[in-house]
Amino acid sequence: MIEVSNLSKEFELSRQQRKELNTTNKIALAVDNISFKCEPGRVFSLLGPNGAGKTTTLRMLSTIFKPTSGSIKIAGIDAVQNPQEARSKIGFLTGSTGLYARLTPDELIDYFAALYNVPKNLLNERKERLFNLLDMQEFRGKRIGKLSTGMKQKVSICRTMIHDPEVVVFDEPTSGLDVITAENIITLIRDCKTQGKTVIFSSHIMSEVDLLCDDLAIIHKGKMLFQGTMNDFRSNMQTDNLTSEFIRIVHASQNASL
Amino acid sequence: MIFTIFKKELKDTLRDRRTLMMMLVIPILIFPIIINVFTSISKSFQDEAANKKIKIGIVGTENNFLQLELNAIPKEMGDKEIILYKDTLSLVKDLKKDSIQLGAFISGDFNQLMDSLRPAPLTFFFNATDMGMKERAEAYMQIIDKKAKSQRYKKLGIDEARIQPIVTGYRNVASDKEMIGKLAGGILQYIFIAFGFIGCMYPAIDLFTGEKERGTIETLLTTPVARWQILFGKMGVVVLSGLTAATCALLGLFLSIELIDSEGNAEILKIVHSILNPTFIIMLYSLLIPLTVFFAGIMIPIAVNAKSFKEAQSIITPLNIVMVLPAMVGFFPGIELNYVTACIPVVNIVLATKELIAGSLDIGLVAISFTVMLSLAVLSVVFSYKRFDKETNVVM
Repeated sequence: MIEVSNLSKEFELSRQQRKELNTTNKIALAVDNISFKCEPGRVFSLLGPNGAGKTTTLRMLSTIFKPTSGSIKIAGIDAVQNPQEARSKIGFLTGSTGLYARLTPDELIDYFAALYNVPKNLLNERKERLFNLLDMQEFRGKRIGKLSTGMKQKVSICRTMIHDPEVVVFDEPTSGLDVITAENIITLIRDCKTQGKTVIFSSHIMSEVDLLCDDLAIIHKGKMLFQGTMNDFRSNMQTDNLTSEFIRIVHASQNASL
Repeated sequence: MIFTIFKKELKDTLRDRRTLMMMLVIPILIFPIIINVFTSISKSFQDEAANKKIKIGIVGTENNFLQLELNAIPKEMGDKEIILYKDTLSLVKDLKKDSIQLGAFISGDFNQLMDSLRPAPLTFFFNATDMGMKERAEAYMQIIDKKAKSQRYKKLGIDEARIQPIVTGYRNVASDKEMIGKLAGGILQYIFIAFGFIGCMYPAIDLFTGEKERGTIETLLTTPVARWQILFGKMGVVVLSGLTAATCALLGLFLSIELIDSEGNAEILKIVHSILNPTFIIMLYSLLIPLTVFFAGIMIPIAVNAKSFKEAQSIITPLNIVMVLPAMVGFFPGIELNYVTACIPVVNIVLATKELIAGSLDIGLVAISFTVMLSLAVLSVVFSYKRFDKETNVVM
């Protein structure tokens, strides 16, 4: 379970950044007072155009960033007060995640399992299960730098799941991947849902959202524009397809702010 | 947890060819190569100079005083050929063309002046760009002058010993170990600081900026490990790399002295062996570890702030000069470890190590030096933590 209430994040702008953004404001508001809840066994999608605040929100959930205000509860743990404890419950995967190229998949998984304090017997059992499931046995001893993008993605999935997290955070997980490789991620999200895990993923690809999610939130310029179930979204659509409806909502918000 | 991170980062670092080259291969090989090349070149120059037959031009008559005296000097002092000239103009011209290597002008009344026991002038011409020729002339004249003086004393009936009122002796009370400590201690420190810095540089950039660039830091920060633990684990590898590079450089230098031309350096080797005892090594490293931590502590915030490997490298590389310059103080004679120099970072470590090698250690001053460096090391670690803890610095 993820419970977010009145979450905001401000960034201080350096002189260089103010110049680049052509603003005199010393503060940039990346996330503006958003609240939502993600239930176990359901897939929650955070949808928004580039720069909407999706990544900042997910980084706050995974405790990389500290919120300026508001609260986050991860599996019942206050992630603002006890970030280290909350992190042990989270699996985090982004499309831009890199891997240690000079390590082998075996070494990498052992390393992350040690960081998550996974007991030795559980590690071996989970590792073998995941390696078999993802068909990784053949390249488990090869340096990651020499693996293909698809193989690397499998290693990333294995790394995310090795500590059996209750909550899984995906930040644009399929960005830059071909359809075959992206399929591994789609399968992983479905598996997580089946296992009763809480899943949140960000995307700007409507077809992916349509395929996977149960609950949906649309954010733009840090503000929440829509929140509800996927069925609610479909039944209230004013256009004939999901992508057009997403664009309509974003444009309506832009026009309102002008 | 710190050790888990340290182990992984060390494994990762040891698999990076660039770091391995800077940490192990170059420091170990550089001194044997440099010393070997220098020894061979200087030996070949020495042999060439010793075997070189030089042509000496003399403006004077046949069988003049200088010609006869030069011919009397044994061949072992260098082979020579005498050419007589009629005027100095053609002698200088040939000297400039390198047809002759030394020239001399002896006046026509030279023999008369000598016979009448008066000073007789003799002028040597040489080309200063032709190394060692003036020294060769001075060496010849030392023999000729000594012989002429003896003959003159004999003629005057003077006992040579009676005109030397004071016999002055100079005796050095410093031991060879002290001499080496004062003279070579600075070089050792210079090597250690230069290589310690370079050794820290690549791992610092790779483990901080590199992680940002490759996008691996974000994943690491989502694990239930405190940031200070991540920082300490990584910093441990940076410090170890610096110490390893510096140790390898010193080891390379030691091996160079030990293996190359060992016959000629028997005395030096004996002193070096007497210096390198366990107490010395422990004390040396207890001074150098805070220095290396300080290096790591100033590099890490830069590496954390930098957005790319190139950016970090372009800031840290010039910093090398700033750090190594104070190490050069060790080369200057007369600068000693005192209450002022003990408070100057880097300089204090250089001077303290010099004293340590010389065996003339003042524990109070060394304690001040150690405390100053340790305080700076702690401050730099705190500063590193502050930068590493700033979320916008760590994630791009």
